[in-house]
Amino acid sequence: MLSIENVSFTYESGASALEGVSLEIRDGEFLCIVGHNGSGKSTLAKMLNGLLLPTEGTVTLDGMDTSDDDKLLDIRRRVGIVFQNPDNQIVTTVVREDVAFGPENLGVPTEVMAVRVDEALRSVGMEQYADSAPHMLSGGQKQRIAIAGMLAMEPEVLVLDEATAMLDPLGRKDILSIVKKLHDEKGITVVMITQYMEEALYAERVVVMNGGKIEMEGSPREIFMRGGELRSIGLDVPAAVELRDMLKESGVADLGDAVDQEEIINGICRSLLKN
Amino acid sequence: MPIVIEKLTHTYQNGSVNAFTALKDISLTISDGEFVGLIGHTGSGKSTLIQMLNGLMQPTEGRVTVDGFDMNDKKQRAKGRALVGMVFQYPDHQLFDETVYKDISFGPKNMKLNEEEIDKRVREAMRLVGLDFDEFAEKSPFELSGGEKRRTALAGIIAMYPKYLVLDEPMAGLDPAGRRAVLEMIDDFRRQLGCAVIMVSHSMDDIARSAEKVVVLRKGEIFRCGTPQEIFSLSDELREMGLEPPFAARMAGELRRRGMDLPKDIYTNEALVKALAEIKGGAHV
Repeated sequence: MLSIENVSFTYESGASALEGVSLEIRDGEFLCIVGHNGSGKSTLAKMLNGLLLPTEGTVTLDGMDTSDDDKLLDIRRRVGIVFQNPDNQIVTTVVREDVAFGPENLGVPTEVMAVRVDEALRSVGMEQYADSAPHMLSGGQKQRIAIAGMLAMEPEVLVLDEATAMLDPLGRKDILSIVKKLHDEKGITVVMITQYMEEALYAERVVVMNGGKIEMEGSPREIFMRGGELRSIGLDVPAAVELRDMLKESGVADLGDAVDQEEIINGICRSLLKN
Repeated sequence: MPIVIEKLTHTYQNGSVNAFTALKDISLTISDGEFVGLIGHTGSGKSTLIQMLNGLMQPTEGRVTVDGFDMNDKKQRAKGRALVGMVFQYPDHQLFDETVYKDISFGPKNMKLNEEEIDKRVREAMRLVGLDFDEFAEKSPFELSGGEKRRTALAGIIAMYPKYLVLDEPMAGLDPAGRRAVLEMIDDFRRQLGCAVIMVSHSMDDIARSAEKVVVLRKGEIFRCGTPQEIFSLSDELREMGLEPPFAARMAGELRRRGMDLPKDIYTNEALVKALAEIKGGAHV
């Protein structure tokens, strides 16, 4: 379990990015953190494996404190982060080597490594690119390689810090379905930081950040019943939820707390195709 | 006068075994003040095409003229280029100076404007993109958030008063409020500066909201060019080429498949709700 206790973060300039945030991320959970630009969500992400240390409060993984230098390597092996810009995460000239880079630094034996790298590439559907040059790949493919690099370290927690922000809609869907599969089949804990409200629908629990604090918390269904509040803090609801709310407001159909497309389509058909 | 693209073809590494034709026989006119949305799958030639618009790249065949200036001609290119402002997808690659103020004033300075005019334009551009002068002018661009960087990059281009504004994925990486703000901002300076806008975006919903004309590129060729209504009624064709039609168009398509009688040209939630309200109204009569 990742435990964030009363964490604040203040930059040297005096600007505050997080104020008294407490959050527990349970093993095997799929958690989504949403918030506008500058809400503190990326700062929080970087706290999860000690890339940033709190100026107040503590972040612990199963009791290991991220501010304890002796534990840091172990924490980083268990909590992997994939960032927004794929180009900044590629370090070698061959995909296979890139995926092996992390575990190599952890001292994983060569024969184990080869197996892990192959498996990681298979998990993200990139096995046929093992010997390709990463810079020839598309943005979405590069992000899959970055995720494979994390998987090769066999992490317990995978953090995606706006990892889909620079991808086209189909590239984004690919990454999401891969992540969902890793969560469902391997039980990896997923923490997804995003500005795309659609992506929050994949999560079991959504945390909404605003002004360095946690503003709301709940299931996607609960959170997206609060469209007005979300808009007032620079966010939005998924297009499907917007449609649902508009249908209710105009008196065409009341679809309750429906959030996904299938549910909404069925609801519309039920209301309007009575015969 | 417009931007005229005539029979443009571009082949990378022309003549080598790796030759790759990115654009084939593209002809297109961008009129004064027009808002053109450019869509296409990754690799369809969008980036190549927009780089031709301000002469960053020269085509293997055909030509681009900007208000009559031939962009294939080295001398005329500089004059044409001064009319076309480009904002790229990664603002990080576009910002380089010590302060936001200096960064935004770089373009106007190169235009050899006087200090007073430069100052006026920097302030105006910052106001248009919603960056508070007192708060941001002296900040380093590297201290800014993603959204603020993008605004700074946009301000630097607007301060040059381009007649044509070319935007490559201007909303990528922004939060919903940021996306709305950037779209409104683009509308604003189109009104105030009268410039034409050429916007590349993966988001069909953003294109649906803003563009007057939509150009669809497929494998380096123009697949279709038309109004948003015309283009977004082609949901199946768009999907086949890896593009996701606007949300409301997809929903309308699915509802039609389930037997609902909806018009073909729906591509916004507003239009969909209106059409459904009519069905409901009709059912009661």
